Amino acid sequence: MDNNTLTEEKFEIDRLTILDCSKLRFYKDEGNFISLEYDGKTYFNVRLTRLIPFYSDTTYISVAYDNEDGEFTEIGVIKDMAELSEEQFKLLDEYLKYKYYMPEIKKVYSIKDNSRGFIFVDIETTSGRKTICIRDWYSNFRMLSEKLLYAVDVDGNKYACHDIDSLDRKSLSILEIYV
Amino acid sequence: MNLLLSAPRGHDLSEYLFSLPFNLYGKAKKVDGHLCVTRDGLEVYVDGEKVDGYRFSDFEEYACEQLIGCSMMVGRIDDTDRKCICAFTNDSFIAFAELCKIINHYLTTGIMVEQSDLEEPKCPKCGLPLDGYSECPYCASKIKTFSKLFSRVKPYKGVFAIAILCTVLGEVLNVVSPKINQILIDDYVQPQNTSHWLGFAALCAAMFLIVIINTVLNWANMKASYYVSLNLGQDLRQDVFNKTLELSMNSISKKTAGDLINRVSNDANKLQSFLTDNGKNAVVRVLSLIIVTVIIFAMNWKLALLAIIPIPIVLVVVKKLYNVIHMYYSRVWRFSNAHSKLLHDALNGIRVIKTCGTEKAEIEKYRAASEKWAKAASKAEIVWNLIWPFCDFMLTVGNYFVIYFGSLMILQRIPAFGTLTLGELIQFTTYVSMLYTPLRWLMQLPRQLADVSVSASKVFEILEEKTDVRDDADCVDLDIQGDIKFDHVFFGYKVYNPVLKDITCNIEKGKMYGIVGHSGVGKSTMINLILRLYDVTQGSVSIDGVDIRKISQKSLRSQVGVVLQETYLFEGTVLENITYAKPDATFEEVVQAAKIAHAHEFVTKLPDGYNTRVGNKGYTLSGGERQRIAIARAILHDPKIIILDEATASLDTETEKQIQEGLNELCKGRTTIAIAHRLSTLSNADCLIVLDKGRLAEMGTHDELMRRKGVYFNLVMAQRKTTKMRAANTNMSPRPAKA
Repeated sequence: MDNNTLTEEKFEIDRLTILDCSKLRFYKDEGNFISLEYDGKTYFNVRLTRLIPFYSDTTYISVAYDNEDGEFTEIGVIKDMAELSEEQFKLLDEYLKYKYYMPEIKKVYSIKDNSRGFIFVDIETTSGRKTICIRDWYSNFRMLSEKLLYAVDVDGNKYACHDIDSLDRKSLSILEIYV
Repeated sequence: MNLLLSAPRGHDLSEYLFSLPFNLYGKAKKVDGHLCVTRDGLEVYVDGEKVDGYRFSDFEEYACEQLIGCSMMVGRIDDTDRKCICAFTNDSFIAFAELCKIINHYLTTGIMVEQSDLEEPKCPKCGLPLDGYSECPYCASKIKTFSKLFSRVKPYKGVFAIAILCTVLGEVLNVVSPKINQILIDDYVQPQNTSHWLGFAALCAAMFLIVIINTVLNWANMKASYYVSLNLGQDLRQDVFNKTLELSMNSISKKTAGDLINRVSNDANKLQSFLTDNGKNAVVRVLSLIIVTVIIFAMNWKLALLAIIPIPIVLVVVKKLYNVIHMYYSRVWRFSNAHSKLLHDALNGIRVIKTCGTEKAEIEKYRAASEKWAKAASKAEIVWNLIWPFCDFMLTVGNYFVIYFGSLMILQRIPAFGTLTLGELIQFTTYVSMLYTPLRWLMQLPRQLADVSVSASKVFEILEEKTDVRDDADCVDLDIQGDIKFDHVFFGYKVYNPVLKDITCNIEKGKMYGIVGHSGVGKSTMINLILRLYDVTQGSVSIDGVDIRKISQKSLRSQVGVVLQETYLFEGTVLENITYAKPDATFEEVVQAAKIAHAHEFVTKLPDGYNTRVGNKGYTLSGGERQRIAIARAILHDPKIIILDEATASLDTETEKQIQEGLNELCKGRTTIAIAHRLSTLSNADCLIVLDKGRLAEMGTHDELMRRKGVYFNLVMAQRKTTKMRAANTNMSPRPAKA
């Protein structure tokens, strides 16, 4: 391996590579996964990751792929998806919404505690009404910031309320005891 | 597990072998989808319409992949090409994973299993996850559980009977006291009768006697109760601990260490106190409730009704209010917990705080947490002080009716109720108030019963669990020579996720074998199978031609020595730790082993030599020193097979070199299987087993494998690249800081 490649590899690890959005061309492959053409290279099945999923859905998106040895290799980071073309934005946004599927809590009807570490929360979400069962609710049903309520049910499904103040008074009074 | 759950709209379940609903497809929008399996392949339906169809052979393998907020079923064509078949929220993950396993099984064997043997992951009744329990601890039959629990009192039934008898007698005496009071008031106090001093003295003596007898009974009761309670607790803890150690790693790993500790101590303690307190109380409270109810109805049924009628309504209201109080206090608990965590964090990380100069921010964080806790506690206290007196008043409200109407009866204002003397009224109200003690207890009972029944079912589940790795009746004690054979071995910690796939290889006695591969490829799993910590799912592992399931576990493990990456030293001395696997070793043997392991030198430098205490609270040994003790332990054990699982991975190269000498001594003439991420560590190996994606990729010596330029070659090259890069990094001058 020559020295140039060594230096190139080193810099990939050492530095945050912000991708030039005008050079990115994402497309959906036959398997419904996202592939990428960038700088004359094609990367199949790229891995898109929200680096700060609780703060932002469309900024700092890591683009990576698994190399031939199955090792995680980051191509770079999209600083803001808004810099992408409308069609490219839509493609990525749809994929990310799907990968980070997390219904938004709109209303809390009731919370029942079985006094043994589980709570049953009856909620209205963007995907409909559901009663979710939460184990160890001190860890899995909590505020991640002043406004963000985050819930993980026993199956690993995630729910969030990005602005708890937007909930109605009744929901807030039910939540008050728990968060 | 049922994998034929519902059919697509307009179709019948009988058309399919399996049919599972899914709720995501294409975009992150909910759909009404179904994945149906027929004899010919898979059909995907969305909203009743068939949108896709696949033959089984369209893909090489089927798998479930977990994303962040949902999961999907994919078909893999090769290492890079795959297709998303459908997606679903995580509640369906296990069902789809099981389906993939069944289809994969069909692809490799041609046999379609029509019924999944996987146990339901959730309780069909309450929907709570079973977490490896065979029966839902929340729905288990309470009567069955409690009868099992009470049967544990049997060995102490005599003493337990004494405790019950003492309590019953005490209660009976309590019932007698109000009667004496009534006689005193009606016959001696009210009429101001001074001529019958003898009777008065006799009554006073009776009351005094009752106090004395009650004290004696209480003493006997306490003594007997403690005896039963402590013994029961000890029995339970011991049984749970014994059983825990007997269980297979498969069962153990389903439960966390914290969960097991809880079962041994907390759950067992809860049962202990429940049995002795409530077991006894149940008899007494119910008995006193019946006796007192009968007495008050016999005295005056109309007044008795007045006292009892409000009780059911009051109980419901009070229970609701209790729940409110409970919620406020759990909120206090939560904030106090958050406060402790913060305190713990700040004090543990005090160096970081000081070096980063973030004291002020931390103080502010602490102030906020502390204030939250104080506010929550104050709110809870206010709620408690508002609600509790009201609850207590409500609970005893019947007594006020009794006093009101009783007084009217004394004054003969309501002839329909009859007449009453002052003494009788006092006696009556005393009885009515005696009703409230068992009632209060009964009110708490459902919560306690529920709590204890969960603890009981958890404890009994362990006690009654049949260990899946157990000795066969015809198992043998084998004098192991050291030939190991893997024959088409399949294994997965979770049935739907095989870690080892079709591994076949021979390990010859007296030689050193290295197992290499990427992390998570199944290297340690192969070792776990040799140790029979788990049983293979398919195929067999044999030693000297005998299937290890036919070798007694004691005989097998006494002849296999293991040195792991992190050596756990038990609380005790160096000597005790070295002799752990062979407690009857002589001191000369111990020193000999320590010398071979190159441990003797550092042990002699320790303040108390071989008597130096190590472990959690003892002398802190370095990683290298711990490993040397582990090697000495293994040498003393004199095993036929040696397993080195990343034995030197956590050590620097200098220490590794020193340890290596000890290891070389240990491995001489013994079958050795070593796992090492650092490939240079395996340079002495006679043969290397290369695993890739759970399969045996290659086998041979280092030179052979390097010539073959396969998986091993790539691993070596990748590692050389990393080493070079590290070297380049070290040689690079630091970047100039920006002005």
